[in-house]
Amino acid sequence: MAYELIETIEVGAGGAASIEFTSIPQDGVDLQVVVSARQTTGGNVSLMTLNSDSSGSNYTFVNLQGNGTNKYTDTISGSNYIYFGGTTSNIRTANTFGNASAYISNYTSSVAKSISTDGVTESNETTAWQTMAANTYTGTSPITTVTISRPFVQYSTASLYKIY
Amino acid sequence: MTYDLLDSVTLASSASSVTFSSIDQSYGDLILVSNHATTGGADIRFRVNGDTGSNYSWVQMYGTGSSATSNNTTSDHFFDYGTPTSLGATISIQFMDYAATDKHKSVLARRDWASALTLAAAGRWANTSAITTILAYTAAGSFAAGSTFHLYGIAK
Repeated sequence: MAYELIETIEVGAGGAASIEFTSIPQDGVDLQVVVSARQTTGGNVSLMTLNSDSSGSNYTFVNLQGNGTNKYTDTISGSNYIYFGGTTSNIRTANTFGNASAYISNYTSSVAKSISTDGVTESNETTAWQTMAANTYTGTSPITTVTISRPFVQYSTASLYKIY
Repeated sequence: MTYDLLDSVTLASSASSVTFSSIDQSYGDLILVSNHATTGGADIRFRVNGDTGSNYSWVQMYGTGSSATSNNTTSDHFFDYGTPTSLGATISIQFMDYAATDKHKSVLARRDWASALTLAAAGRWANTSAITTILAYTAAGSFAAGSTFHLYGIAK
């Protein structure tokens, strides 16, 4: 019984369009993904998908965002991705990376999956974004693949942990 | 980091409560993760050590997709985390330094139900006793069959 690192992926020179964990062991109870990332585009979020399902409109989320001045909340039903905030934009201070985590409970179950996500951008500026979201994936197959998409810069990292 | 599964409950049939008792006192923190639904629109609530007194306080913020809100309460009789009516709602509660006998106990919680809201809360149980029992229960009705409850210990 443990909190066990399955794999850490670091983006290499030239960047990467996505980070993907495949063949995830099925002997855990919950999964956690922890990310340190910066993207080559604007925006503050990454797109997470499960089991390579990126076109079935099988995700629903509600989020809460704050930037030190304002607060926002959005919800989308029939999304093609999990809301996964905390990826710093390339327009922000150089060498700053955001932090994010996603907690996937009962990932080997045969029912819809619930995913809690948290994220915060880091930019050494007056405005940073903190986000959290409740997500549901209606797919009922056990989770074997986790994909995080965004054009990531070099040195972005993602770690996948198994809890059991 | 050592993160051990101390106990796990999957309800084969509906039940009005789930209790974790005789909790191992050798860890630093506890984390309770539940994935559940309740029937009858009843709230899910948590108590520790069988304490029904006015010793639970919390502050929370949440977003529903249409409104962002923060509120708090003091001297409640439980930690209350709302009314999920279909499976897919997750609650995680971290009990900090739960085995200590010289401080009130702090908790950090998340409640996520994608069709309703995302919520973060901080709470305090105004008692210095070590936590040995955690009760999850519904204000009315019951937990649906298939609800799961996992209790983890994080090593010191």
